[in-house]
Amino acid sequence: MKTRLLTLLLLHFFVSAYCKVNQDTIDGNIVNAKVDRRLDISSHLLKTVTSITLTNKGSSAVRHFLFAVDPTLKDSLSYISASVKDHKSDKLEVSETNVPGHSDKRFYRVALPSSLEAGKTVSIDVDAVYTHVLTPFPSSITQAEKQLVVLETNLYFYSPYPTTSQTTTVITANTNVESYTKTKPVSQSDTTINYGPFEDTVPFSEAPLRVHEENNSPFLTVTYLERLVEVSHWGNIAVEEHVDVRHTGATLKGPFSRFDYQRQQDGYASVKQFKTSLPASAHDVYYRDEIGNISTSNLRESDESVEVELRPRFPLFGGWKTRYILGYNVPSYEYLFNKGDHYALKIRFIDHIYDDMVVDEVLLKIILPEGAKDIQLKVPFDVERRGDDVHYTYLDTLGRPVVVLHKLNLVEQHIQDFELHYTFQRLRLLQEPLLVVGAFYLLFLAVIIYVRLDFSITKDEAKESRMRVSSLIDEVQSAHDRRSALYQSYDDAINKYKSSKDLAAFVLSRKKIDADYKQLTQQIQNLQAQLKAEGSDAAEKVSELQRLDVLYKEQIALAITAAEKLVAGKLARAQYLENEGAITGKCEETYKKMESLRSAL
Amino acid sequence: MKKIQGTWGLQWLMRMSPDKQDTLLKMVILTLAAILSFSTRLFSVLRFESVIHEFDPYFNYRTTRFLAEEGFYNFHNWFDDRAWYPLGRIIGGTIYPGLMVTSALIYHVMNFLHLTIDVRNVCVFLAPLFSSFTTIVTFYFTKELKDASAGLVAASMLAIVPGYISRSVAGSYDNEGIAIFCMLLTYTLWIKAVKTGSIFWASFVLFSILLHGECRYLVSSWGGYVFLINLIPLHVLMLMITGRFSHRIYVAYSTVYCLGTILSMQISFVGFQPVQSSEHMAALGVFGLCQIHAFVDFLRSKMSTEHFNILFRSLVLLVGSVVFAAAAVATALGKIAPWTGRFYSLLDPSYAKNNIPIIASVSEHQPTTWSSFYFDLQLLMFLFPVGLYYCFTKLTDANIFIIMYGVTSIYFAGVMVRLMLVLAPVMCVLGGIGMSAVLTTYMKNLDNPMKKEKKSTKKIESNYPLKNEVDCHLCNPTNDSFPVVLHLPLHLGHLRSLLVPSIVLSARGGDGSRIIFDDFREAYYWLRHNTPEDAKVMSWWDYGYQITAMANRTILVDNNTWNNTHISRVGQAMASTEEKAYEIMRELDVNYVLVIFGGLTGYSSDDINKFLWMVRIGGSTDRGSHIKEWDYYTPQGEFRVDKEGSPVLLNCLMYKMCYYRFGSVYTEGGKPTGYDRVRNTEIGNKDFELDVLEEAYTTEHWLVRIYKVKDLDNRGA
Repeated sequence: MKTRLLTLLLLHFFVSAYCKVNQDTIDGNIVNAKVDRRLDISSHLLKTVTSITLTNKGSSAVRHFLFAVDPTLKDSLSYISASVKDHKSDKLEVSETNVPGHSDKRFYRVALPSSLEAGKTVSIDVDAVYTHVLTPFPSSITQAEKQLVVLETNLYFYSPYPTTSQTTTVITANTNVESYTKTKPVSQSDTTINYGPFEDTVPFSEAPLRVHEENNSPFLTVTYLERLVEVSHWGNIAVEEHVDVRHTGATLKGPFSRFDYQRQQDGYASVKQFKTSLPASAHDVYYRDEIGNISTSNLRESDESVEVELRPRFPLFGGWKTRYILGYNVPSYEYLFNKGDHYALKIRFIDHIYDDMVVDEVLLKIILPEGAKDIQLKVPFDVERRGDDVHYTYLDTLGRPVVVLHKLNLVEQHIQDFELHYTFQRLRLLQEPLLVVGAFYLLFLAVIIYVRLDFSITKDEAKESRMRVSSLIDEVQSAHDRRSALYQSYDDAINKYKSSKDLAAFVLSRKKIDADYKQLTQQIQNLQAQLKAEGSDAAEKVSELQRLDVLYKEQIALAITAAEKLVAGKLARAQYLENEGAITGKCEETYKKMESLRSAL
Repeated sequence: MKKIQGTWGLQWLMRMSPDKQDTLLKMVILTLAAILSFSTRLFSVLRFESVIHEFDPYFNYRTTRFLAEEGFYNFHNWFDDRAWYPLGRIIGGTIYPGLMVTSALIYHVMNFLHLTIDVRNVCVFLAPLFSSFTTIVTFYFTKELKDASAGLVAASMLAIVPGYISRSVAGSYDNEGIAIFCMLLTYTLWIKAVKTGSIFWASFVLFSILLHGECRYLVSSWGGYVFLINLIPLHVLMLMITGRFSHRIYVAYSTVYCLGTILSMQISFVGFQPVQSSEHMAALGVFGLCQIHAFVDFLRSKMSTEHFNILFRSLVLLVGSVVFAAAAVATALGKIAPWTGRFYSLLDPSYAKNNIPIIASVSEHQPTTWSSFYFDLQLLMFLFPVGLYYCFTKLTDANIFIIMYGVTSIYFAGVMVRLMLVLAPVMCVLGGIGMSAVLTTYMKNLDNPMKKEKKSTKKIESNYPLKNEVDCHLCNPTNDSFPVVLHLPLHLGHLRSLLVPSIVLSARGGDGSRIIFDDFREAYYWLRHNTPEDAKVMSWWDYGYQITAMANRTILVDNNTWNNTHISRVGQAMASTEEKAYEIMRELDVNYVLVIFGGLTGYSSDDINKFLWMVRIGGSTDRGSHIKEWDYYTPQGEFRVDKEGSPVLLNCLMYKMCYYRFGSVYTEGGKPTGYDRVRNTEIGNKDFELDVLEEAYTTEHWLVRIYKVKDLDNRGA
């Protein structure tokens, strides 16, 4: 079932990809009036800027024109964009297309900003980036040697239309150029080689262009990048990149000598370190690999970005490779937007790894929170969406949906935002905390049940009796505590009586307290009997407690009569006070004794 | 009545019955001790990172990962072609899988509950986890021996005793970490079984013995743990001698021995060892004695004294001669394994040094120095005799056990540093008993300064000042004299060196900043990514496990030193001249050679300092008879790498690989080039080229140097 679903999905992608490809024909009325090409090979990429001045020689308006990819660069094209000259920021729509009869060639249809009327001209800049075009020659060098590379491409602008006049400029990495094609007219100054102008070239004209230059810029290639974006609705987005890098320049021939490397700092073509820019809000950055933390990195924070200076465990010479993991967290409010239950994640498809980077293959996995549904993707360029996955991590029950995206051959220009829309019920945020609470609740409940209930098969008499005794003692203690509280009530009643001199009320309240008191004393009496039955020596302590209580009660009775006498005027005030002092002293003493007995139970 | 409102904090505690208070306090103290023992061991993770330490743990980690990923069946049938090239190693059948199974089980349970913790972290934190379990077991063990208060003291001490911490820090993923737990659990259950004489407890002992097999069989291959196997039989024997033999002991021991032996034989690696090897003979013998003793007791109860005496004498003669004859025949037929060298090395510390260089070359197998006794045990050294004294004053079956354990382990710890680990728990138990007994005796006499103010007159016992003094010294921090109880934790400072993962070295820079030498991983990672997948790496065996685990490359020899001749062959290659070595390396299909060199940084345990062991081991077999240790010394008998050094040394492969191009490096100001900072001398042979090797990689601080073995020339030169 799963595989069938997968094939269906793949089929769907295939069909949709196929449908996207347009059909076009070459319009014979278009002429390239003037073409200036700049081929920049100062880094390990080939960056071309082609300024085309188009003329519509026909009678009807033209809405778009075709851009043919040079046959020498056909498989290396990574990124293409077009804009009207001097309006760099307004990108024109560029899409791949097929031309019947030219199935071996690769065409792009560039939509013009407005239709080009007959006889009018327009200037368009086409930017393109090609990867893995420069081949090292010689292909392997020793540690001390410098790296030489060769560019082999077309001298002429490869176009389906005739070109009236064209020039080609090659920008080299430095002034050391071993050789270059000397097709006239040609001139060289500093780091530029100018060819042309060439007049009236026919469509699809070709002539060799070969430049052999010294180029020590790092030929680093990310051969495989796995980027994980884990979205949490608790306010955090975790990004982790697994990066496989390889030095794709001239391979190292012979030994690597650390001594020479340290002494002369040679190894011109080696890569010692590179800088990665992370979003400015990135924190908790870590840099590690399969065998642990890599201790050689520096972090610099600025307003626009966090810059990480990454030093691989070892310098990368030609042909050497390494692999590392770089991870960080960013707050979600910068990338996650919502309207009710509808959420949109807007984050970069890939991020900066090093300047002029090349990524051969990228696998992007976006892990959404558990319960995210109706996932819709909006990407700025063609991306293969693979089947969704499920990811399990802490406290997951059903798993988190994972959107998997795949793309080949990317460069810096591909650092663009994509959008992922989905719905998520906010209440589900509570699911995981509730799960923890529930689990602990069950655990405590189980412990409580285990401790409170008796699971033994046989009856342990001694233990049972002990437990009964302790529960009886608990009861005695609580009864006694209540009784102690009643003593206080007596005191209060007496005081109230003294101030109000209301005998009736006093008698009433006394009766009430007396009733309570009697009941409690009776209760303790019963408990004592039960304790005695259990054969506990606590029974004696309880009877001692009762004895002390009787003493206390006597003192209270004395206090009451004294108070009554005082109110009735039968007792002098001074005498009463003296009397009361004695009673209070005795009471306190007895109380202390009772308390110590109580806690000793 | 207002007086009852005392301080709230203690009020609720006082409200509880003493029983509950007692339980609560015990649980709090025990929990704190367990947490403490877990957290003290995390030092290296906090300071560095969560990483596996040392050498052996890397192998355990690798096998655990294999087990977790491939399942038990594949693990059982695992033939490892990454090690011991070209022989390979059958891992499933040659290790006791307890440790790996434990962590794989934890890993799978956690992941089943969607606690996605990776295998490495399970491995790193296993030792601290088990040490906090050990703390709890120690409590029960000591409780069985004396009482709960002694148990609490012992548990708290075990949590922080350096001798145990050093072997169970986070990242030291080794059998020792879990074995101590199993050992104490076994002993606890054994004591319980002896006390109750019930089969119930005895059969529990079994389960723990299976766990305990960990230290029994795997580690017993290193000799030191033999006495642990024999401790229970020894205890039974001692009980018989002292006339304390009873039905309880008979039931307990018979159950444990029969079931334990049969069950442990189910593990393929153990096989028939329990009935064949001499290490296990004591257990068997005591089992037989048990039967006889019980039988004799039975007869004595049925017969008159005279008859009994006649029968007894004749029986002793008969049985004695039969047993002797059987043992002689079995030994002659090779059914009983002869006493292994490791066993001798246990009894006689100098045996290994003289006869088996590979055992002697391991620093863990050196005799213990006096200072390390103190550093590893601290205060316990003084509390140990106190505990013994209290055990002797109240002699019981259980006390006899702990006395035996303490006395034997202190002897064996003296023989081998490694066995300090076994000594540490018993030191804690006895120390705990001692401390608790002293405290309960003298605590009553400690005068409370608060009380003193109230009651100025106090009845004074005759020996009161003395007792008071004793206790003040023991536990009063306000006193001028230093409180002994606090002695132990305060001395943990020196442990810091033990808590550094040896895979990452750190030093203080000139400006006081911390410099990290991460060269080992640098080199291993280079090997992992920049050599062919099937490359064979030759290095001294110490680094074998690390290379297979971190670089994932095939190696010739590793820390499982099961094949002496193979290691010897590597030693010969290192000790020979380039041409000779090249023959050996071609023969073994070596592609890369890895050496550790500390001359630039001053890292002293490098290959040059280990070199004499390579020479000795290399020369210990027939094929290496041309390698003589004496050739590598100066005529005065010194091992020197400077100009005075022996020419054989100065031209051997190891020397050349370590010092290749080192002759032109300035290492220290005011010293000539090629100044070796470990040997503190200028090297003797500076300017040379390598013919059959080329430098493939050298790490940033030159700690690890990797050479590539050149291919044969296309034509004979």
